[in-house]
Amino acid sequence: MLEIDDLYASIGDTPILNGLSLSINAGEVHAIMGPNGSGKSTLAQIIAGHEDYVVTSGTVTYKGNDLLGLEPEQRAREGIFLGFQYPVEIPGVNNAYLLKAAVNAGRIHRGQDEVDAFEFLKIAREKMAQLGMDPKFLNRGVNEGFSGGEKKRNEILQMALLEPELAILDETDSGLDIDALKAVAEGINSLRSPERAIVLVTHYQRLLDYVEPDFVHVLSEGKILRSGDKSLAMELEDKGYDWVREAASA
Amino acid sequence: MTAPALSSEALADAVENLPRSALSATRQAALAQFLERGFPTTRLEDWKYTDLGTIVDISRRWLENGAPVPASAAMDDQIAEVRSSIDADWLVLANGRIMDGALDAAIPGITIKALSELPQGPNFERPLADLNAALLSDGLHISIGPGAEQERPLGFLIIDSAESDPGVSQIRIEIDVAADAQAQLIEYHTSTGNAGHYSNSVIACTLAEGASAEYVRVQNRDLKHSQTQRTSMRLAARSVLRYCGFDLGGQLIRNDLDIDIAGSEADASINGLYVAGDGQHIDNHVRVDHRTGPARSAQEYRGILGGRCRCVWNGKAIVHKGADGTDAKQANHNLLLTEGAEIDAKPELEIYADDVKCSHGTTVGQLDEAALFYLRTRGLDRKEATRALTRAFGASIVSRLPIASMSESLAAMVESRLRGLANGELS
Ligand SMILES: Nc1ncnc2c1ncn2[C@@H]1O[C@H](COP(=O)(O)OP(=O)(O)OP(=O)(O)O)[C@@H](O)[C@H]1O
Ligand SMILES: [Mg+2]
Repeated sequence: MLEIDDLYASIGDTPILNGLSLSINAGEVHAIMGPNGSGKSTLAQIIAGHEDYVVTSGTVTYKGNDLLGLEPEQRAREGIFLGFQYPVEIPGVNNAYLLKAAVNAGRIHRGQDEVDAFEFLKIAREKMAQLGMDPKFLNRGVNEGFSGGEKKRNEILQMALLEPELAILDETDSGLDIDALKAVAEGINSLRSPERAIVLVTHYQRLLDYVEPDFVHVLSEGKILRSGDKSLAMELEDKGYDWVREAASA
Repeated sequence: MTAPALSSEALADAVENLPRSALSATRQAALAQFLERGFPTTRLEDWKYTDLGTIVDISRRWLENGAPVPASAAMDDQIAEVRSSIDADWLVLANGRIMDGALDAAIPGITIKALSELPQGPNFERPLADLNAALLSDGLHISIGPGAEQERPLGFLIIDSAESDPGVSQIRIEIDVAADAQAQLIEYHTSTGNAGHYSNSVIACTLAEGASAEYVRVQNRDLKHSQTQRTSMRLAARSVLRYCGFDLGGQLIRNDLDIDIAGSEADASINGLYVAGDGQHIDNHVRVDHRTGPARSAQEYRGILGGRCRCVWNGKAIVHKGADGTDAKQANHNLLLTEGAEIDAKPELEIYADDVKCSHGTTVGQLDEAALFYLRTRGLDRKEATRALTRAFGASIVSRLPIASMSESLAAMVESRLRGLANGELS
């Protein structure tokens, strides 16, 4: 579904990704771990189409087509969803408006009928109930004044409504209390299907206890140092990243 | 630019050809003053950023054509459209003429007269009020009595058409709101036609003691048409004004809003939104005179600017000697969508009293790129995301609309203007 081949990217004059390759197939759940500043969010933002990052070489293909030439909204409509590490507060833009506009943008792209306000509210309330979110969040500004955990839940709500084919969740588990973590994990698990792929960027084994990954990758200094199965995450928890770095340079 | 002259003979003829009435004497005096003063020029501090060249040009061509008044029949559709979208008792002023029926409208508690019926002629002291009084065919005088219970707002529909030849029209409306009376008033300016048009409005409104007025002004002219307007509001003791003004259309627009806080415990909220795109120039000058205290005034204007355009905001608060206990706030915020959009924002405070609370702030910003990206990652294209963010920026003014019954139609008008801005004028 997603093929990243020898990707180099920088911001300004600073290189951040240094020959990163990663292959993700439908039906798989990948976890990406790695030290602070190693480039995990950069990778996620590049896949979503952030214009500040310049790809200097390498390719990214999605469902067989070049991804890097697409506008962010085209990527979204083609089924890519990024759960932001730091969801943006947008005062004055109504959360319900955004959710409905987002759902309909995807539907129009797929040639489906738009959902009307009534139908939309019904679905949104259902999903919110599953996530343990108060419906009043629909009427607030997007992430406006939301607590850290509420923002993360709101990201998952968006994901649940958009039903993406490729979901990249950038530290969606950070800052969540234990109930929220479970709710978020359930949200992720309910999306798991043979047609979809999920990428979890995380620092903690905790989330992986609830959402079992098929693959775990360690990203360091802009490239994948090591890949393995879920046992790699446990090993990391034990031994830290130095162990991977040493093993890689050995 | 030098004082632009119109042919004095042609002007005198235009004045001469107006229907004779009790206004004739004032017209001659006002004409004499205008011939001496002319149009305000950019050499005047208050007019520094606004060159009236376009307006002078239209006026000249209109005079050369013999100062015609086009028939108003062509506007029936537009009039009907406004009537159906905003619920109000409408008095229609078409091409500067009071339309049939306006003077006979029977609204309980409200008296409507022609200015020509009044013993005193209209005042023409302020800039362009002389041109207005000289060329005025007639105006409206509205008294809102203490017992007035408006079922719906009273609306002034100011509409002009300039189909093939340039047009000029003068509007004059005086409104007195009696002690303790409550008024809901709407001014709606619109226009049609491909030729140039210049409308010059002078509005004077007084609120007697304890009176309150909810006042909405919407300027939604064709983008080829221009307007100057002076609105004077006088607030007696304990009176309350809730004012909201919207400039959505027009090519060259200059609004002067003068608020006179004449009585203690008067309270004025003044809000405005201007949306300007390619080729537009919108200038808002708001002056609040606090003559006595304690009293409060709070103004906030917001601007959304795209394409190549220029806007001006000048907010002046003068706290006169003895106006102790004044609380005056001024704010102006601007969202610039393009490099070609320009704003000159200037707050001015003059304080001659003690114990006053005054604040002012202006901001000029661009679209929040992080927010734009976030919305786009959800599938909204750049235009839709831009519209969502600009709508949000204007929402704090729109949400203060004092006349709730028109909020839906107003939101739709703002939306349609923002759509135009996001679609064609972002380059
Ligand atoms: N706009 C920017 N300007 C300069 N440097 C940047 C910019 N954005 C990212 N970087 C740098 O790129 C590197 C990678 O950042 P990134 O956010 O991708 O790290 P991360 O792996 O997600 O870290 P964390 O685990 O802390 O979230 C960091 O050193 C960061 O400082
Ligand atoms: Mg990160």
